[in-house]
Amino acid sequence: MTRDGVAGLICLALAIGMLVLTRGLPQSPLVPIGPDFYPRIVLIIMAALSAMLVASDLWRQHTQAAPATAPAATAPEKRNYLLVGIAFAVFAGYVVLLPLVGFRLSTFLFMAALQAVFEPPRSARRWIVLLISALVTAAVTYTVFEHYLSVLLPRGKWTGW
Amino acid sequence: MIDLLLAGIENIIHLKYLVPLFLGTLIGLIGGGLPGVTITMTIIIVLPFTFGLDPLQGLATMTGVYVGGSAGGAITAALIGIPGTPSAITPTFDGYPMVQKGQPGRAVWLGIWSSFLGGLLGGVFLIGATGPLAAIALEFGPWEFFALFVFALSMVAGLTEASLLKGFLSGAIGLAITIVGFDPIMSVPRFTLGSEFLRSGFPFLPVLIGIFAFAQLMTDIEQMSAADRNRAPIKAPPLTVSHLKVLWEILSRPFLLVWSTLVGILIGVLPAIGGSAATVMAYDQAKKFSKHPERFGKGNPEGIIASEASCNANVGGSLVTIMAFGIPGDAVTAVMLGAMTIHGIQSGPLFVSQHPQIAYGIYAAYLLAHPLMVLICAFGARLFLRVVTVPKSILIPNVLVLCVIGAFALNNIMEDVVVLLIFGLVGYALVKARFPLAPLILGLILGDQIEVNLLRAMMSDPNPWLFFTRPISGGLLALSVGSAIFALWQHQRHKGRAAQAEQNPDF
Repeated sequence: MTRDGVAGLICLALAIGMLVLTRGLPQSPLVPIGPDFYPRIVLIIMAALSAMLVASDLWRQHTQAAPATAPAATAPEKRNYLLVGIAFAVFAGYVVLLPLVGFRLSTFLFMAALQAVFEPPRSARRWIVLLISALVTAAVTYTVFEHYLSVLLPRGKWTGW
Repeated sequence: MIDLLLAGIENIIHLKYLVPLFLGTLIGLIGGGLPGVTITMTIIIVLPFTFGLDPLQGLATMTGVYVGGSAGGAITAALIGIPGTPSAITPTFDGYPMVQKGQPGRAVWLGIWSSFLGGLLGGVFLIGATGPLAAIALEFGPWEFFALFVFALSMVAGLTEASLLKGFLSGAIGLAITIVGFDPIMSVPRFTLGSEFLRSGFPFLPVLIGIFAFAQLMTDIEQMSAADRNRAPIKAPPLTVSHLKVLWEILSRPFLLVWSTLVGILIGVLPAIGGSAATVMAYDQAKKFSKHPERFGKGNPEGIIASEASCNANVGGSLVTIMAFGIPGDAVTAVMLGAMTIHGIQSGPLFVSQHPQIAYGIYAAYLLAHPLMVLICAFGARLFLRVVTVPKSILIPNVLVLCVIGAFALNNIMEDVVVLLIFGLVGYALVKARFPLAPLILGLILGDQIEVNLLRAMMSDPNPWLFFTRPISGGLLALSVGSAIFALWQHQRHKGRAAQAEQNPDF
């Protein structure tokens, strides 16, 4: 099964799961249309489309049974999935830290960490540049949003600011 | 109408509005020019800055971004051959060869002046058509609105380049996201899994930012290489040119200019299709109508004029749809719609009559953004090229911080940031599974409206046949089916051609 089939299966499972949940929704004798009316329409459509995606994927695989004929047209473009995984992890860390240490410190740490991941500093000078740019982003965004645009930014539970 | 427009212009030229409009246009030009940063991304970045502004200031900023971004992509497209935005693909076809022939000033300014003229013609349409279209929309009942939204969704899902099935499924996922939370009649919480936060549903903007921004940024990160990291700044060539000569070059082709503008407007009016379709279609049309189609792709000014005029005219068309019907013409206007909601403004048929100051302020901002764009380019086009080559290792973390601020500042709660992260993962997964995002976004935007109008119609008359027997509603639903069948036919034809090409590789 290709990624189409897997995506279809995930969507199908989600749609069926949510359809099951609609059974528990309360009905009112005063209102002819219940809260499950529209969700059921959407979820049935979603389930049907997902099932069709899975079926079309299986059918495609069945009709293209001989992979030996598949041409290796060009070398696949090199993609750095590890970097994406690390970037997501660093961002998740930022989301966790924000309410604990506040916007200023967590943004500084996030900026420094992600820049270091993207472009690992190989000299003391690079480290200084990286830390200064992280500091500038944290300070400038905080000043602009809090002081000039009256936008409140997260305060830290541990730091109090 | 003229009085209101003049009052709008008078209002906008106050520094209070002119400065945000100028900054928006400048940021739009830079964002549009940055390869890998689309106009949607730029407007998402700008969004948190508008929270603290008054509604018209915020919308003027966004209008500036939209206008500037549509033109900015073409500058990098011509000078370095890399489109800053997807809509700037076609200017690379003729702009870059023209630069290589030693005419960088001509290539860039043909693009800028064409954007200017196309945009202003689009503005005439925007101002002239919004009122009458809104008047038509006022006659709509819930059946017609339901059918209109279904038509918009079916068309977008059908027009996606990816698999038709995935286009429709993507739209259904968007609709499914909106069913979480209170139902509109009895206020029964649905699919909240006991979460207090989910009772009012997933917040629209964090979901939108998560899906769009992460899908794009993570794809950029995937492709980051050592070469990107150590890229040397590009030296911009001198862009001196006779502006009168360039303007004459454009104005001496009135049919091309007007036709490309009309294509841009039409694509803009159609919901959620976006600028890239407009430029590709206008370029294709220009080639078909040209006496010398063989010159296209070799530095032909007609290619640049068609692409750029249609690109900025498309902005005017998109704004018409959002202002007359409350349906976003593309992802950029979807964010604008979200910003309007934050400021308590309901877009739709009553928007112009209920908020004339804001509506005519937007018209004025749109018109003034064009000369501002020309002015900024005149003074900073070369400097601009240095800015757009900023390394991604610095750019991406900064954009992510702004995404977080945008999500958090909506309600000042961390849950919105968590939603941003979750939908960032969802968006990236969908991109990896090659799902088109435009139908999902439209489903997300229209989901609540589709439900409300469907329920209103069913509550006022339970006869479901009314959807088909009322002329406008029935017509729109027939068009929905027609567009799905047309898309299916197109996909089959495309498949057939591809198979034929495989069988006859020499042809």
